[in-house]
Amino acid sequence: MIEVEQLRKQYGDFTAVHDVSFTARAGEIFGLLGPNGAGKTTTIGCISTLLAPTSGRIRVMGHDVVKEGIEARRSMGVVPQEIALYDDLSAEENLSYWGGAQGLRGAPLRERIREVLDLTGLLDRSREPIKRFSGGMKRRLNFACGIVHQPKVLLLDEPTVGVDPQSRVRLLELVREQARAGACVLYTTHYMEEAESLCDRLAIVDHGRICAQGTLAELRALLGERDVLRLSGAFHPEQVRQTLARVEGVEVIHADEALLALAMTDASHRLPLIFAALNGSELRGTTLTQPSLESLFIKLTGTELRE
Amino acid sequence: MRFVWISALKDLRRLRREPVTILTWLAIPTFVAVILTLVFGPRGTGPHGKLLIADEDHAVGATMLTQAFSQGALGKMLALEQVSQAEGRRRLDRGDASALIVIPSGFSMSFMTGQPVTIDLIRNPAQRVLPDIIEESLGIMLDRAAALRSGTGQPAIQLQANVLPNKMERPGGFAAILLPGALFMAIFFIAGALAADVWRERTSGALRRVATTPARFGAFLAGKLLASALIFSLIGAFGLAVAHGLMQLRIASFPAALLWIALSGCGLYLLIMLVQSAASSERVASLLTNFVTLPLVMLGGGFVPFEWMPRSFARIGEWTPNGWCVVELRAVLAGSLEPWAFAVILAAVAAAWLASVRTIRRAAC
Repeated sequence: MIEVEQLRKQYGDFTAVHDVSFTARAGEIFGLLGPNGAGKTTTIGCISTLLAPTSGRIRVMGHDVVKEGIEARRSMGVVPQEIALYDDLSAEENLSYWGGAQGLRGAPLRERIREVLDLTGLLDRSREPIKRFSGGMKRRLNFACGIVHQPKVLLLDEPTVGVDPQSRVRLLELVREQARAGACVLYTTHYMEEAESLCDRLAIVDHGRICAQGTLAELRALLGERDVLRLSGAFHPEQVRQTLARVEGVEVIHADEALLALAMTDASHRLPLIFAALNGSELRGTTLTQPSLESLFIKLTGTELRE
Repeated sequence: MRFVWISALKDLRRLRREPVTILTWLAIPTFVAVILTLVFGPRGTGPHGKLLIADEDHAVGATMLTQAFSQGALGKMLALEQVSQAEGRRRLDRGDASALIVIPSGFSMSFMTGQPVTIDLIRNPAQRVLPDIIEESLGIMLDRAAALRSGTGQPAIQLQANVLPNKMERPGGFAAILLPGALFMAIFFIAGALAADVWRERTSGALRRVATTPARFGAFLAGKLLASALIFSLIGAFGLAVAHGLMQLRIASFPAALLWIALSGCGLYLLIMLVQSAASSERVASLLTNFVTLPLVMLGGGFVPFEWMPRSFARIGEWTPNGWCVVELRAVLAGSLEPWAFAVILAAVAAAWLASVRTIRRAAC
C-alpha cells in the first residue's frame, strides 16, 4: 500500500509537485496520467526514496520513506523509465545482481531468477549478454529486475516508452499479473489508452497537481457527459420510445426504423436492461461511445495531453 | 558486506568480457617503455643520478670538495643535494640517490692542520655505475689533496666507502629506473577507465536503481574498489614478475609492493572518480580525465623517469599523487618499508571513499 499525503517537491522557486495526495491499495493498479513534465517521475522519485520531499508524508507498506527508507525500499520494486541494466552481463547475471541488491541469495534467488525469466519469456536467452537483445526484450528484463524479489509495492515509471506494440501488450499483461498476485502497482504513463485499459484507478496530473482521481467511471462521470449507444436494425420508433421510457436514466436521442441512439451514464452496465427492453426488435449492430480521458483531460486542464 | 562482494563480482564479470581492454591497458606502458628503450638505448642518454652530501663541516674545505662534484662532466652527471646525515641515510635507504658523502665536522681544520680525518661514502647497492664513478672521483680528489700535502709527511685523508646493507641484491639498471613509473602509468590509465564506468552506470540509470534498493552506496562503491584493487594487484603482479626477470628483485618485497600498488591504485581510482564527478556529461568527464591524467603521468615519472628529467621537474613530479606512489614503490622494492606511507595512503583512500560515496549518491539522485 502506498499512502501519499500533501506531497510537495520544490527546486528553489520551482515547485515540481504541489500537495499531491493519493492512496494506492494492494492488488490494484493505480495510474498517474499526465504529459511529460507533469511531475509523475518526481512523485515516483519521492516514493522510491530517490528524492527527498520538501514537505508532506509518504508511507510504503506503513513505513515512512524518509524516516524508514531502507524498510520501505525492502518492500518496493522499481522499474525505471530507462533500461537500467548492465549490457555486458547476461539476463541471469543481471537478475542475480539486482536480486542480490534486494537481499536475495542462494537457492531462493536462483529459483526466483528462473521463475521471472520464464514469466518474461527470456528463459531460452538467459545466458546471453543482453547487448544482443532487442529493445522489447531489454524492457522485459528491466521489468523482471524490478519484480525478482516479489515486491509488495511495484513502481513503474513509463515502462513502455519506445516499445513495439507486441512487447507493450506483453508488458502490460505482466503488470496485470503482478496486481492479480496482490501487489500494489503504481503506474505512470502519458498514453491515454494504456491508462484506460490497465488502471483500476487513476490520478490525472498536470503541472505538478492532481486534477482529478478515481475509477474510470468516476472520472467519466466528472465530465458530465453520457455514453452514447447506437443500435442498428429494424425498429418501430414510437414503440421503442415508449418501452425505453420505462428504463431509468436512458434518454432516446434519435429513433428511426433503422437506427436508435440512446444516451445514458455507465452504458456498459445497462446493456442487459436495454437489450431486454428491445426484445422483439431486430438488432444488427451495437456501437458504444464513451467520453474519453482525452476529453476529460482537456476539460480539466484546458489543454490537450502533450507528449 | 555481502553486497560488497556481489558488486565486486559484477564488475569483475564485466571486465572479463572485455579482455582486449585489459590487454590494451597493459600494452600502453609496455609500448612506451619499448619506444623509450629504442630512442635512448638501454642506458638512456648516459648515467644521471643524485649525490647527497651531508656537510657537517660547513667550512671552506668541505665547500671546495662539494663544488668539485658540480664541475665539468661530473656536474652534468650528478645532481647534488645538501642533506643532514640522518636524512641522507634515510633517502639512500629508500634508493633515492646514488651515494651519500659525509664530510665530518672539523674536516677543513684537520686538513689544514694535518690531522687525520675520514670521509664516509655510502653507496646505493641498487646502482653500480654512478656509485663507482663517485667513489673513483672522490678517491682522485682526495689523492690530489693529499699530494698537495705530501711534503709535510702528515697522514693523507682517509676515504671509507661503505655499501648500504641489504636492499636490492643486483643493480637494476635501465629496468629499475623505468619499471615503477611505467607500472604506475598503467595503473593510472586503468584507474581512469574503471572510474569512467561509474559515469556509464549513471547514464544507464543503474546508479538510480541501486538507490531504490535496500543496498547502501558505501557497499556499492566498496565493491567497485575491491574489484579495482584485484585488477591493480593483477597488473602489479605482472609488472613485478617482469621486474623480477630483469632486476632479480627480492621476492620478499613482493607482498608489500603488491599491497602498495593495490592501495595506491585505489587512491588514484577514487581521485579520478572525484575529478569526473565535476563533469556535466560523460564526454566532459572523459576530457577532464585526460586533462588531469596526461600531465600527471608525464610529470609523475610515467613517460620519462625522474632521473632523466630536469631536476626542477623531477622535484615537482615526485610530489604528484602518482609520482609519490612511484617514489614509494621504489622504496618498497628496495626493502625499505615505510609504515607511515601505508598509513597515509590508507587514510587518503578512506577519505576519498567517503567523499566519493557522497558524490555518487548525489549523482544518482
